[in-house]
This record gives sequence, C-alpha cells and structure tokens, in this order.
Amino acid sequence: MRKGSIAFSLFWLSAGWLIVALAGTAFLLTDLYSRTLDTDLTNQLRFDVETLTSATLDSTDPNFADVALPDPRFSRVSTGWYWAIRNEFGDVIATSRSAVGLLMPTLSGNFGVDNYRSDALVDEAGNHIRAIERSTSSNGRPLRITVTGNLDDGLERIGAFRGQTLIVLGAVGIALAIMSAIVARLAMRPIGRLGRAIEAVREGEAEQIAGTYPREIAPLADEVNELLRSNTQIIERARNAVGNLAHGLKTPIAVLRNEAGAAPDSPLSSVVTSETAKMQQLVATYLDRARIAARTAIVGKRADATMVMLRLVRVMQKLNQNVTIAFKRPDASIPWFRGDESDLEEMAGNLLDNACKWSHGSIAVTMASERTPAAQFLVIRIEDDGPGLTEDEASKVLRRGVRLDEKTPGSGLGLDIVKELVDVYGGSLHLKRSVLGGLLAELRLPAAKVGGLVRN
Amino acid sequence: MRILVVEDDTNLNRQIKDALTEGGYAVDVAFDGEEGHFLGDTEPYDAVVLDIGLPQMDGLSVLEEWRRAEKSMPVLLLTARDRWSDKVQGIDAGADDYLAKPFHMEELLARLRALVRRAAGHASNEITAGPVRLDVKAGRVTVDGQAIKLTSHELRLLSYLMHHKGKVVSRTELTEHLYDQDFDRDSNTIEVFVGRLRKKLPEELIHTVRGLGYQILED
Repeated sequence: MRKGSIAFSLFWLSAGWLIVALAGTAFLLTDLYSRTLDTDLTNQLRFDVETLTSATLDSTDPNFADVALPDPRFSRVSTGWYWAIRNEFGDVIATSRSAVGLLMPTLSGNFGVDNYRSDALVDEAGNHIRAIERSTSSNGRPLRITVTGNLDDGLERIGAFRGQTLIVLGAVGIALAIMSAIVARLAMRPIGRLGRAIEAVREGEAEQIAGTYPREIAPLADEVNELLRSNTQIIERARNAVGNLAHGLKTPIAVLRNEAGAAPDSPLSSVVTSETAKMQQLVATYLDRARIAARTAIVGKRADATMVMLRLVRVMQKLNQNVTIAFKRPDASIPWFRGDESDLEEMAGNLLDNACKWSHGSIAVTMASERTPAAQFLVIRIEDDGPGLTEDEASKVLRRGVRLDEKTPGSGLGLDIVKELVDVYGGSLHLKRSVLGGLLAELRLPAAKVGGLVRN
Repeated sequence: MRILVVEDDTNLNRQIKDALTEGGYAVDVAFDGEEGHFLGDTEPYDAVVLDIGLPQMDGLSVLEEWRRAEKSMPVLLLTARDRWSDKVQGIDAGADDYLAKPFHMEELLARLRALVRRAAGHASNEITAGPVRLDVKAGRVTVDGQAIKLTSHELRLLSYLMHHKGKVVSRTELTEHLYDQDFDRDSNTIEVFVGRLRKKLPEELIHTVRGLGYQILED
C-alpha cells in the first residue's frame, strides 16, 4: 500500500527544477558578465586605436617615435597591454614600450566594413590577450595599428563573479528548497488532519469526520463520512435483524418449554426441554453479541446518571413495594456517565434488582464523584440489609455464570452483564459488606468530561 | 379472580389460560391489541397478563389507553425484550410488573398472585379470617389447622371474599369476577356456592348483607 511520499516527490520535483534553473541562471549570468567585460575591453582598445591613429596624423617623425598612449600599462613589459604600428606589409614601424623585445602577435581574419578586426590570442609571456587592429592610412601612408589588452584580469574577475554568483544562488536555492519543503508539508497537512480524524473515528472518539477541508480533499472526507454512515446503517440493520430474530424466537421457545413442562414424564418432553434450553442459550448468546457489536459504536456518548438512577429507583420501588429504596439525590455537580445510557441502566438496574431480591426491606442508593490524577470517576453505591456475601462468596459471584442460590428468580446472568459492561467501560465493581448489614455493591464508572452542569 | 390474557401466540395464550384456570382463576383471552383493549376497557378484571408485541395495537399503547381511562387493575407485562430501558418504559406506561420470555409458568403464577394480593392490600400469601386460613399460593384452606377440601368454584368464591375482606361484595361483582366471559351467568349459582361454603366452613364467616351482597368481616 505504501508507495513513496507525495510530499517527498513534490519536494524533489521542485528541488530538481530549482537546481537546473539556478545552474542555468549562474551560467547565463557569468556568460553575460564575461561578454560585458569583453565588450568594455574592446571598446577601450578601439578608443586606444583611435588615439594612436590621430597621434600618427599629428606625428612628425616617420617612424612615429613620438607616438605614445598615456596609459602606463603600455609602458610595462609583458603585461599583455601592447600596441604596434605596422606598414601595409606587416613590418613594425613603432611599438609600445611594453612590447619591446617581444614578437607582436599577428591577427588573422578579414577586416570588417569599419576596417577593424579583432582576435583573442596568447602572447609570448603566456597572457591571454584581446587584439584589435585597424587598417588605416596616415597622411597617405597605409598603416595597420594594433592594440592589445590583457584578458586575464577579466578572466579573474569573471572567476570571482562566478564564485559569488554560485554562493548567492546556492543560498537562494537552499532558501527555496526549504520553502518548497515547507510548502509541501503545508499542502500535505490537511491530509494528515484527515488521517487523524479517520483514526479518531476508528478509535471511537468521534462518530464522523469533523472539520473543514480544502476543496481537493473535502470530497474524500465526505465520501468517508458517507461510507461510515452506510456502514453504521448496515450494522444497525444486521443487529436489528439479529435482535428481532432472537426476540422472536423467545415466544416459541417459551411455548415449547411450557408444553414440555406440562408432561414431565414423557421422553418427548425431556428432549424438548433440553433442546429448548440450548436454543435459549443460543438466543441469549447472540443477543449479547448483538449488544456488544452495538456498543462499539457508542463511545463518545454520555448519560445523566442522576436521571437514570431516579428512573430506576422509581421503577424498582414500584416493582418491589415491600422494600424502601432510599435514594439521596446528588447535587448538580455530580458528573455524567461517559457511555451509553441504556448500558448504565443495565448495570445499575441489575445491581438494584439483586438488592431488591435479597433485601429485608431497606435499600440505600448513593452517588459520588471520585477524582484521581488520571481520571474522574462516577461512583454508584447500592446497599441492602439482606444476608450479604462473605469475601469468598463475593469473589465467587464475580466469576462468570455463578449463582449462589438457584431458588431466587433470575437467570444468574445479571451480574455477568454488569461485569462485562464494567469491563467495556474500564470501570470496576466491588462487593463489600454494607453498614445496613447486607451487600454493598460499588460501581465505579468513568465520568464524562463535561455534563455535570448542563442539566437544567 | 378474573384474569385477562392478551397474547398473540395462540399456543402460549392457551398454555397461560390453562395454567391460570388450573390455578383457580377465571380467564378471558384476547389475541390482538384491539380486542384486548376492548375487553380490559369494558370488563372488570382483577389482573391482566399483557404481551407487548401485539398485532393491531401494541401492548404499551393498550396499557397507556387503559391508564388514561383510569383503569387501575394490576397489569403484568410479558415481553421478549428484557433490557432495563424496556422495563423502565413498560413500568412508566403503567405496568405493575414485568416478565421476560421465555418464563417459567410458576413464575408467572407467582407474580400474578402477588399482583392480585397487592392490589387488594395483602402483604403475604396467606389471608386469615378468624379460624379460617387461605394459602393463596397453594390454594389450600384450613380451619383451626384442619385442611378443608373445596371445589375450584368454591375456592374462587372464598378467595375473592377473603381478598376483599371487610368489604361488601355484591352478587353481580362476584359473577363478574369469578366467571369468564363465556360463562352462563346465573346469580343463583352464587347463592348455591355460598350455601356450600357455609356448610364446610364456620357458618358465621360469610355474612349476608341484605339487598347488597356478602361480606367476610375484618378480624
């Protein structure tokens, strides 16, 4: 499933282009700069040629011994800065002092329409030089005036320029790469957010994907929500179907069992009795499963525990008129239960039912909130004045399916359901001795973060 | 004691009817919500066994209608759904007790007995009047500890009078509560049974209140 990273590809794609573009820019800039330097040099040399040309016109000496250029570089030997005046046959008539003793390089190529020609050469001293030559005439004498300038200075400057350009562009490149990395991450951020939202749904912290997303991935979030919705519907329908089937089977099972019970001695009825017991077990098992399946989708819910307890106490009081249930209604600051309302009813209801079954007439229900550094808990205590349980018995009933007294009505599943639900919610159930003389069942459940003050 | 059984499963309905008849009750049956509602609305019953899942009109609606019309007979709800939220809903609709399917017939009888007893204001399964002691659960009558044999009709009559001890019960009331709908009601039969009971029990137990009916006096 995992195939590279979009952010990484984006980054390398943009970084690759950056490298190519920056290298091209560096090359172009250096080229432009060297051309500019060359043009400057050529212009200067042309100016010198023209200066020499006018000097020959003014000269009185046939060998132009009085001709000179003011630039001191033409006076120092082997600098690459030379000038020479030749006749039409190429014989040197006069040279700069810098060229004394050197063989003046000769240019090749044709003169242009302006009677100039230009060439890049290497002199005897090894200098790279730019040479400009003009074909002219002075007072009727055809002459060729050559001026050269050192290119090495320029080359050095070009090198320095190239170095600086590379440093600047490198810095720009790094800055752009960092930016493109940031952009890539920024662009990917909503995707990360979406991923976390989906994870929250899977973890049961949310029912669907919340928040707004950019146009590019909003359809994805919508589709996921749609998928969740249809998934929930499918589960809901399947669960309902299982529930309906199981509930629907209960009546025929009851009929068969009653019919068989009416004739306990016949072999048929003993078969029917044992088979209906199995059927009933299956029904109970699958109803339990359907409930558990339903439970996976309920995290994120909360319930007003006080209201639930009020309701249960009212119902149990009506069903058991021979006992008095004292319920001290807690104040509004009591936290809500973090979970499904009907699950809380199931836990507290079964405990209350047990208390009613065993009580001699008096039951007390209290609620409290308990705070540990890690979490807040809601504690529901249900106590009766019945026979109670010894420690051994208490630990025994907390094991699955154990009933201490088969005569008291009930399937014995009551506590199992309570225990299972308590586990699902990460709470705890303790059975202790009550001050009333009977059993104290202490139900400790996670409290909702908000809710206590919401009630009107 | 006359009981109405509203249950759409014909077999279960028959079984409950048989068990109740055997337990000494007069039983009327209905197989759907509307019929059940009509019977409960028009006939005087001492208790009702009401299924929740019924055709035409569901059990909770039937019950709510009755309570709205201030029918106060005890109602035992029968249901396949045994979650506490269902129980709470049933009790809030006005039910007095609740039994989840599949159930043991003995439990149904026990709960029904308790409901009838409670409605009449008796705390235990034994009702006494002078030397006469009626064990509602076992359907046994003793006088000074001696067991007395009664026919089912005699037992029904005595049981009703004992339950309503101290109250004058008219012949019509007795007919209505002792026989099911299909019984050929002839108020003379009541007199016949009262006469037989007086022979088997201390004669002064059942008083005749002229023009009004019969009465077993409070101790």
